[in-house]
Amino acid sequence: MYILKNAFISIIRNKGRNILIGIIIMVISASCAVTLAIRSSADKIVSAYEKKYPIEVTIGMNRENLTKSFRENNTSQEEMIESFNEIEPITIEDVEKYGDSNYVSNYYYTYSVSLNGKDLTEATDSLVKETTKTEVETNTRTETFGTPPTGGRGDKFPGNWGSKSTTEKKTTTTTTENIRNERASRGVFTLTGYNSYDAMNDFINGNYTITDGEVNSNFEDNYCVISEELATLNEIKVGDKITLVSPSDEDITYELEVTGIYKENTDEASDMRNMFSSSANNIITNVNVVKNIVAKDEDANATVNPTYVLKSKDNIDAFEQEVKDKDLNEYYMLSNNLDIVNNATKSIISVKNFATTFLIITLIIGAVVLLVITMINIRERKYEIGVLRTIGMRKSLVSCQFMFELLAVCIVALLIGAGIGGLSSVKISNSLLASEIENAKSDMEAINQNFGGNMMHDNRDMQKFDIVNIETVNSIDAVVDFQVLGKLLLIGVGLTLVGSISAMIAISRFSPLDILKERS
Amino acid sequence: MARVKKSEPILRLENVSYRYKDAAKDDYVFKDISYSFEPGKIYAIKGKSGSGKTTLLSLISGLETKYEGKIYFRDKDLSKVKLDKYRNSNIGIVFQSYNLLVHLTANENIMLSMNINGMKEKNKKEYVNQLLESVGLTKEHAKRRVLKLSGGEQQRVAIARSLSYHPDMIIADEPTGNLDQETENDIMHIFSDLAHKENKCVIIVTHSNNVAKQVDEVFELKGTKKGL
Repeated sequence: MYILKNAFISIIRNKGRNILIGIIIMVISASCAVTLAIRSSADKIVSAYEKKYPIEVTIGMNRENLTKSFRENNTSQEEMIESFNEIEPITIEDVEKYGDSNYVSNYYYTYSVSLNGKDLTEATDSLVKETTKTEVETNTRTETFGTPPTGGRGDKFPGNWGSKSTTEKKTTTTTTENIRNERASRGVFTLTGYNSYDAMNDFINGNYTITDGEVNSNFEDNYCVISEELATLNEIKVGDKITLVSPSDEDITYELEVTGIYKENTDEASDMRNMFSSSANNIITNVNVVKNIVAKDEDANATVNPTYVLKSKDNIDAFEQEVKDKDLNEYYMLSNNLDIVNNATKSIISVKNFATTFLIITLIIGAVVLLVITMINIRERKYEIGVLRTIGMRKSLVSCQFMFELLAVCIVALLIGAGIGGLSSVKISNSLLASEIENAKSDMEAINQNFGGNMMHDNRDMQKFDIVNIETVNSIDAVVDFQVLGKLLLIGVGLTLVGSISAMIAISRFSPLDILKERS
Repeated sequence: MARVKKSEPILRLENVSYRYKDAAKDDYVFKDISYSFEPGKIYAIKGKSGSGKTTLLSLISGLETKYEGKIYFRDKDLSKVKLDKYRNSNIGIVFQSYNLLVHLTANENIMLSMNINGMKEKNKKEYVNQLLESVGLTKEHAKRRVLKLSGGEQQRVAIARSLSYHPDMIIADEPTGNLDQETENDIMHIFSDLAHKENKCVIIVTHSNNVAKQVDEVFELKGTKKGL
């Protein structure tokens, strides 16, 4: 106890010396606080990015493997198609089996099936275009090869051109019907079921935007969202019901309530050569609806597209291996979005790395400066050490007293330095964060709009915010937080240890007799 | 610590020799010194400059440990004793240059010695004041930083410090070297009282004939020749 008291008296009565040490530690501490705060902010931004772009793994066809296999076996085109069709599709059971992994934080999937509609006209411009094209070709052919019309009706209506043309049109209609029949046999509408909002990438990415109504948060019942084109073509409004029919059996029907109408925003949609967007006949619903359809209709041709959200990017290889060990067909492969995530955080990580380098340099310089100051301090206090040792104070206790003194000065200087560093780092970090926050906010608002409804005031739909959780990025005022203070404290203790160890070594090497002789 | 009887030596030197680390093999400062110091007596160690007076005192006080021969404190070999404990409990050291901690007051310097010793005095402040009074200083002196005291006063504080934890032996290196005649007499009077009234063994290294006159025994060092 007297050691503490003695240390305290020594600090108070040797102000000049301790203020000098304090200033040095304060400068080191302020520099460390700034760099730590920048690192912390960078971590928050990276974490926000990683939440926004989690590591996702998808399963798709390994076309390279497939082509290689066909090439090696000199497979004919027919055999290729046959082999291709023989590849076992991924089932929901497979998706769930792969998803049951320690590396996976979440997984979702889309489940699609093709159906026809009852009293529902498909939105298609390919048939119209084909018909038009055929008519043009017919006219050309008549003019070129047909007999020139002579007299009668033919004078007013040139030759037999009209009748010939009618014949050709018939052929065209037959072609159109064939195409229509062929399409109808497969199902003209694609019903895509999602198992959560997370799975609805087209809405998240802004490809689709709800223009009326909303995507229903109920992922169980028979609700659906249809395209603007389909709604206009069939005069369907939000709240109306549509009936879909199995392509293989017209008696199997499914009734869905329309809760929203979306439009497609992709470039493809704005392509003026097409009247309808590529998604015009895409009806969006939940997985449960598709599951029920597949259960009712054995012939339904359903496909599953899973996406696995990994806990960490370090788990990618392990997860791939695990899925392969769970007997994933060799013609399937796993793809991930690591490159996208890395690209998005690259600049921030560079800032963080720069801050880390700066921190290390500051710490090295700080430690060296502190070491020199401590040594000078010890030399200056040699006499004191000599007296204390002469009157019987143990070396360890003398070292302890010096350590307490340094620690006390260090803590006070650290706190002041952290305050100064904190104040100056707020500006730096804020400018780093501000643009990111703005981007994240606008992204969130855009996503909310894509899903339709008033999400901002609808607690029921709060889960939609999870898609881009920018809560942590919002708290920019907490730049020098407890975590940073904790790190600073550790740095302070580390620096004190460096100083104290050097002091202890010096003290242990001093002979009190020599010190006192020197003094004399 | 139990008090020893007056006639029994408290400190014994047996064939003690010393030479500096870098000195030649036979170049001793002093060689084969044997002597006994008893409680209740005041001793003076005299000798020319370089005869090894202060060195001998360093050996006795445990500040120098590399010597030949044996030094016994109460029949315990000093080389096997914990010297920190020995210095903060068994002996009190007084230096010519006082060696007080200048950032502390007189009071605090003495208290620090008591704390190092681990004394459990109930009213330390009162005890320190009594101690200072016994060496001729007042309460006012006690509150002052030592640099604000005169040389004589500082030496009195150093003596009070050396007495604070009741050691059996006081070792003083030229304690009056920096003081005037009158103060020297005062200090010697204190030492005399400590030896004769409080049965302490007081060993003083001195050049002063005046000091030598006031002691019970004089031990003269004659370079490398044998002492008494």
